[in-house]
Amino acid sequence: MSDSTNYFVAAAVIAAKLDRATKVSQRLSLTASNARVVVLRAGESAAGFRPLTDAIHSLADITVSSSKRINTIAATLSKTSVQMFRADRALKYFLDVYARAKGSPNLASLDESFERTKAEYERLSTLYRKQVKNLGDELSSIESELRSAVILKTLCETEATRAKGEYREAFISVSRNVESTAREIKELIGYSRRQVEILK
Amino acid sequence: MVTSKNNAFLMDPGGVELFSAMLANVIKEVPVEKITHIFASHQDPDVISSLGLWDQALTTATLHSPWIWEGFIRHFGMNNITYSPIPDEGGSIQLDEVSLQYIPAHYLHSSGNHNIYDPKAKILMSGDIGAALEEPEAPLFVEDFEQHIPKMKMFHQRWMPSNRAKNDWVARVRKLDIEMMCPQHGRIFRGDDVKKFLDWFEALEVGILAG
Ligand SMILES: [Fe+2]
Ligand SMILES: [Fe+2]
Repeated sequence: MSDSTNYFVAAAVIAAKLDRATKVSQRLSLTASNARVVVLRAGESAAGFRPLTDAIHSLADITVSSSKRINTIAATLSKTSVQMFRADRALKYFLDVYARAKGSPNLASLDESFERTKAEYERLSTLYRKQVKNLGDELSSIESELRSAVILKTLCETEATRAKGEYREAFISVSRNVESTAREIKELIGYSRRQVEILK
Repeated sequence: MVTSKNNAFLMDPGGVELFSAMLANVIKEVPVEKITHIFASHQDPDVISSLGLWDQALTTATLHSPWIWEGFIRHFGMNNITYSPIPDEGGSIQLDEVSLQYIPAHYLHSSGNHNIYDPKAKILMSGDIGAALEEPEAPLFVEDFEQHIPKMKMFHQRWMPSNRAKNDWVARVRKLDIEMMCPQHGRIFRGDDVKKFLDWFEALEVGILAG
């Protein structure tokens, strides 16, 4: 594990990035809804686009729900790491007391507090490792979901060329939106993944 | 710290940075489990910011502090220790054979603040009242009251906001039989100097931008 000042900062940074990812994913939902409206207006010429809007919607749903879930894990992790830091700090202070009050007959009376805090620290660090792993797994799974965004974008572009002139522009912008939001989420996830590596 | 047969009562344990020195000194006197009560006269960091560490050292202790600070003081970290709010009018606490009184000292300087009075030992722990700003190597006792005034004056005028609260406190404390008045910082007042302090403080105008 990395040094004690960095790890809970990293956890807080991840929580913040994931919060951002949730908001971006919500924008993807909006794109899907807009696309649906265009499909309705465009009628037959956009028949091929209809299933794609469904796909955009479900990608948006998946990213929204999974980034919310990851966000919760990251927030919990952030809390765990602060508690762990506190226990760790208390242990350091206790060790200092052992050194300062060396030879005092009462010194053994600190053992119980020391052992309890140490056990608490160990419990927290096990929990912490579990939460870090959990977070890493969730991040990989959202990353692989996002791979479908590239395919979606290509399919959208292809369909856009088939659409009537006036709607073509709208479909092209939908495909661009899918691509740019997916890229933004990917960047946030990628950044969080690198932060998780620090936490390990 | 006041110790009785089975309990120790730790007053204004201090800031985080002092924790290990403080606990080491306490442990030289009593075993950890004997520290059953902590008192924080008010919410200041120099009084109680070490709470988060005490909370991990002592799991069954009780913290006595003015009721208005409960929400504030919890921010220092309190998961195990129990908060026992002291009402505005003060009160007392019995520890085995020792009895201590909470003497209201609101607005001096904190808006919720109590002194501790030990009627048997005739000692008043006056917190920030009577505090002086001087070097840590300064002697333990006030030797020459007149000379000590300049070290106290600005602190009392600038930090304490209310003449009314101040005079109210002076009247209350005059009724107590005090042999020693011990502020949290600065020097201890003995015998006649206690009365001199009360007279000086009564006449002093506070709540002004001195300094
Ligand atoms: Fe204070
Ligand atoms: Fe103070």
